Amino acid sequence: MVHIEFTINGQKAALDIPADITALETIRSLIGLKGTKEGCGIGECGACTINVDGKAINSCLMLGARLDGTTVVTVEGLATKENLAPVQEKFMENHGVQCGFCTPGILMSAHALLAENPDPDHKEISRALSGNLCRCTGYSQIFVSVKEAAKLTDQLNQLKKVGG
Amino acid sequence: MTDIEYIRPLNLKEALSFLWEKGEDTKIIAGGTDVMVDLRSDGLDKKYLLDISRLEELKGIELNNKELSVGAGVTLSEIYSSKILKSNALALKKSAKNFASKQIRNIATIGGNVAHSSPCGDTVPALVVHDAKALVADKKGTRLVSMEEMATKAYMSCLSPGQILVKFILTPYQGGFTDFQKIGRRRELAVSRISMAVFVKKDKDGRISFLKIGLGACTPTPCKMESVEAFLTGKIPTENLIWEAGGILAGNMIKITGRRSSAIYKEPAVQGLFMRILYPVVKS
Repeated sequence: MVHIEFTINGQKAALDIPADITALETIRSLIGLKGTKEGCGIGECGACTINVDGKAINSCLMLGARLDGTTVVTVEGLATKENLAPVQEKFMENHGVQCGFCTPGILMSAHALLAENPDPDHKEISRALSGNLCRCTGYSQIFVSVKEAAKLTDQLNQLKKVGG
Repeated sequence: MTDIEYIRPLNLKEALSFLWEKGEDTKIIAGGTDVMVDLRSDGLDKKYLLDISRLEELKGIELNNKELSVGAGVTLSEIYSSKILKSNALALKKSAKNFASKQIRNIATIGGNVAHSSPCGDTVPALVVHDAKALVADKKGTRLVSMEEMATKAYMSCLSPGQILVKFILTPYQGGFTDFQKIGRRRELAVSRISMAVFVKKDKDGRISFLKIGLGACTPTPCKMESVEAFLTGKIPTENLIWEAGGILAGNMIKITGRRSSAIYKEPAVQGLFMRILYPVVKS
């Protein structure tokens, strides 16, 4: 067993995990956050994408023990008590979700993209999301959703500035 | 559940001491994007997982005294965003552009890509072009290993259980023309069917004065293509000449691999990719 301590969605977590389990198993089975999905389990589909220290990674390809000392955000950590995150808001509004299985992963890739690049063009969105597969293939709505989320994020930041 | 033990050494020395004692029973894990797939499919018949992902000695990209070094623990994302590599090893930077997916580039390391010794490792052709040597360490000391010696066969590196790949030492190239291209079944998240890196310099008369070629995914282990480099050096690159050289390149591949069933596709595709990658040199 390995003792790990890390921050997940703003909360401290400390637990003992088997040495050979993935970050995905740690988050789903041991911490109980089921929002992160397992699709392929081998890094092809991106359904298990989480943000570790601000970067999108496949949690199925990350050893659980490596979570130690990191700051993790999963799909459960995107919304605040009052509001959905801009990506969530806009995916809902623009029908960026069909069956929804790939959505948590896509939201996390999009969230990391917007933190890195607040105004991505079509190509940049395509590259950032190319590790996320949607079997329902509603990709055009997903593109619209991410673009709109970028705009909304920008507006909210402007408001914050004005508000002081 | 198994009884694998997880070890995270604080520094390289500690890691090498551990491997000296228990290397045979240890699987080294850096980014983990290959190890975790193996772990899932077959499990690991090892007692220890040695996590080298946080070793400072394996990090960093540096240029000093005409020597360019890239730590084995540098991620593909770091390679893609490196300004030093942009101006001194552009082909390597380009090889990181379409490497797997963003999520994988954020965690996968160049050392892992090379140590895994997959014939289609995307960083390999660029490393060959830059005459890269891998600095390999064990408890007793270090040695330099060329890219051609690095893999003994497909998916088998020459590293012994006590050794860690520390960094790559590259010959930096400025100016000239350089590129990396790959052919996969799709644009993103694709395993390379064929990959290629080149660096070309021309003299005042427009003759090729210096040329390096790295061919990936076509031979079981990395090879230099010196006969093709020699064929083109000193000549003015015309369309016909590059096409002819591409034929020699494809011929070299067949000599190494034999005429496998994929040759009917790969032979013309290698020639075509060579034409495509060097076409800007013809036109300019």
